[in-house]
Amino acid sequence: MKRRSFLLGSTSGLAVVANADHVFARALAQTPLPGLPGGADRCLVLINLAGGNDGLNCVVPHGNDRYYQLRPALAIDRNDVLAIDANVGLNPGMQSVKALYDKGMVGIVQGVGYPDPDHSHFRSTEIWQTAAPDRYEHTGWLGRYFDQAAPGRENLFKGVAVSKVLPEVLVSDRTDIPAVPGLGEYVMMADRNVAARGAFSREATDSHLPFASPYLAHVMEIEANAQRSSEELPRLVAGYKTQASYPATGLGRSLALAAQIVGSNLGTKVIYVEHGSFDTHVSQKMTQNTLLMQFSNAIGAFYDDLGAHGNERRVLTLTFSEFGRRIEENGSHGTDHGEASPLFLIGGGVKGGLYGTLPDLSATNMGNVRYTTDFRSVYATVLERWLGRSSAALLRGSFTQLPVLS
Amino acid sequence: MCAEGDCGGNAENYAAMTAQQTPVDVGGIARPAGRLDLSTALQPHVGRLGERSAAHLLRRAGFGGTPDQVRRYAAMTARDAVASLLTVPPVSSFTPPQELEDVGRPVSMATDPLQRSMLGQEMTTRREKARAGKDAILALQLWWLNRMLTTPAPLQEKMTLYFHGHFTSRATPMYPWITYNQNALFRRYALGNLRDLTLEVSKDAAMLLYLNGAQNVAAHPNENYARELMELFTLGVDNYSEEDVRESARAWTGWRVDRRTDTVTFDAAQHDSGVKTFLGRTGNFTGDDIIGIIFAQPQCAKCFAASLLNLFVYNDPEPRLVDDVATLLRQHEFELTPILGTILASNLFYSPRAYRALVKSPVEFVVGTYAALGVQAIDPLALTALTQMGQRLFFPPNVAGWPGAKNWLTSGTMIARQNFLTRLLNSQTLADSSWLQGLPVASSAAARGLEQTILQGDAAPEALFELEGYLSGTGTAALAPLSVENYDQRVRGAAYLAMSTPAYQLN
Repeated sequence: MKRRSFLLGSTSGLAVVANADHVFARALAQTPLPGLPGGADRCLVLINLAGGNDGLNCVVPHGNDRYYQLRPALAIDRNDVLAIDANVGLNPGMQSVKALYDKGMVGIVQGVGYPDPDHSHFRSTEIWQTAAPDRYEHTGWLGRYFDQAAPGRENLFKGVAVSKVLPEVLVSDRTDIPAVPGLGEYVMMADRNVAARGAFSREATDSHLPFASPYLAHVMEIEANAQRSSEELPRLVAGYKTQASYPATGLGRSLALAAQIVGSNLGTKVIYVEHGSFDTHVSQKMTQNTLLMQFSNAIGAFYDDLGAHGNERRVLTLTFSEFGRRIEENGSHGTDHGEASPLFLIGGGVKGGLYGTLPDLSATNMGNVRYTTDFRSVYATVLERWLGRSSAALLRGSFTQLPVLS
Repeated sequence: MCAEGDCGGNAENYAAMTAQQTPVDVGGIARPAGRLDLSTALQPHVGRLGERSAAHLLRRAGFGGTPDQVRRYAAMTARDAVASLLTVPPVSSFTPPQELEDVGRPVSMATDPLQRSMLGQEMTTRREKARAGKDAILALQLWWLNRMLTTPAPLQEKMTLYFHGHFTSRATPMYPWITYNQNALFRRYALGNLRDLTLEVSKDAAMLLYLNGAQNVAAHPNENYARELMELFTLGVDNYSEEDVRESARAWTGWRVDRRTDTVTFDAAQHDSGVKTFLGRTGNFTGDDIIGIIFAQPQCAKCFAASLLNLFVYNDPEPRLVDDVATLLRQHEFELTPILGTILASNLFYSPRAYRALVKSPVEFVVGTYAALGVQAIDPLALTALTQMGQRLFFPPNVAGWPGAKNWLTSGTMIARQNFLTRLLNSQTLADSSWLQGLPVASSAAARGLEQTILQGDAAPEALFELEGYLSGTGTAALAPLSVENYDQRVRGAAYLAMSTPAYQLN
């Protein structure tokens, strides 16, 4: 095959060269991919509320006097709570989420955690992301989903992490998920010679190299993916018109990109975003209220945007946080690392309402909320009923599903 | 992946093998194709190394050589080269970075009473202390990377990094000195005795905090360390029972960390001095006894043998090869120097099967790039780059260390690798110290020089041709011919291209 290099432009001495029969041409023919089992157009958006979101001031047990006794400084006033029923209500910052709840689009699972809870941010985050409380896994639960569901690597955007570094939840053995902090940041900085690089490595890889390596094919594939995906992503999502005014926050920007990716029909099954930090050891009230308001406002705009494009039934949003916080407030108007906490499932496919068990603030485990729903039950529900996969192998065990998805 | 001996491939026919390679799912690690000849594998390699093997040795036993080092080692035999690498300076010759001193040494280490009183005044709040500790850890990362780059004994740093990934602990900003002390411990044992190191690391402050040994007391045993000691550090899963974990945990009770002084103490009152039954033996065991019993298990030598072969030779080594190295380890009573000497001078090490058979770790990629370019010091841009590439020193992802191999490479980490190259090659740092500026202002000679120094002949002929075309400006109408004026930018771009080949990602 004769390969012709031609010049695209040159500014300060590093030339741009591309190949006429470059891999980009093939990429176009391959995206988007046919859908995966579970519905071609469904997407899971996973939000990591990082740092340990205090569940009791998020889904407030305003009917429980003991909550007010144990938190004289921090408790949310009964009059401020966005009441769901006589027992619980939402943090006053969460008006948009409450509005979605009232439309039946929000499921709240209370008391979610795992046995022998670990109080380290790091380890507990890892446990939530790998779904492995009792052993070390180097793959995430959604990474394993991709390993099993989509070992073919054709679609570069089957999963997208809106983050600087790939989170453990999307680490897999057989697929390659891009971590895209933002469209402007997911670029090969080698602006002027990136195409030259592509041409160059293709020249090198197509020919007979003077060595063999068991990893050569892998390196070539990842190099091609990195180049292709960073080139293609801005172009593929360029036609999308955002139809909501997102708050000017990190999470607002992340969810705007998520809606754009969903609306651009790239065959994306999972999008990861993060928000925080919820590690409120001191002066919790203002910090957490602000973070929850940012969360709620961004979610509101996200579902407005999705709704305007007819996509709200296509997207299930699931939140998680590495742990809840201690029931009793500490001496510096904050709370320390705790255990179980509530999580949210949001979307047009959700059967709205309260799930799990109201936290029992008396029967406590060293001052913590005991878990009453294993987090893998939630994962099993999402895998089976949203992503359409058998969950037992992916979670290394069978877990009871919740009736939260219609 | 085919089983050992089933391939029937001609190990010399690399071109054909490469052409046949298609993406296959192999999980995290992969063994090279071709046949292992065990009768000669561990025999010493004969003859002078030449530049290609010298560069290979310096990449594996260190972090990649400078052009001068590669030339110097190329003239040596494997035996002499390895003897040189096995000569290491005493650890007492190291001084920690100033930022760490700024945090204040733990009281027990501070001899100056003035400094002691200043400590109390300056580090008043927890928040201040954590901030200073964070700076200290960043400085420690940079300090270590610079050691890797400039040390006369790269194998010492390579083994220190290996131990960091093997006996993992994670840094805590509140206690930066314990991270430094653990790093020094690993360096002290870089070519020492594996059993002695395992014993010492079991009583190391960073380890006692990270795996909860400090909370392990007779009344409430904490099994975390006892389990990982066997599962990850010495034996591997399925080589012990849950009962062994519980009994080992009892033997390790009583070790505490004084967080004020960062010192480790043994509290006899918290130690369970009762009789334990561990791996089939019964006695009044302490932690020291536990280490002795573990290292008497044949599986322990196999575990370390496989780990060292994965580090230095290739991934997923054949069980027969592991057995041979394990036998050597036991013969030498777990002394590393003779084992590393054997491996690094062996026929197997210089065989085509081992060549470029590993994926460069981010640290190898970053430090190796500074070395290859002849830059004298690593700047902070390397720290950001390493985080984006997935290898923050002192912050391994979990107690199992960095999974490595295939897991190093994703679209995101590959972009981080390429962007690091771009930043470095466009930085002023380079202009001051790199050999790039000394290349001939003649495109074919410059292309050959670049290729030889960066890739040691591992570029395809077509790539060399492209590189020359890029340098000369031929075939690309808007590129002016190479001249004194555009020379600097052009050779930087050409170095970028050479480092963007697949070979450069492989170790």
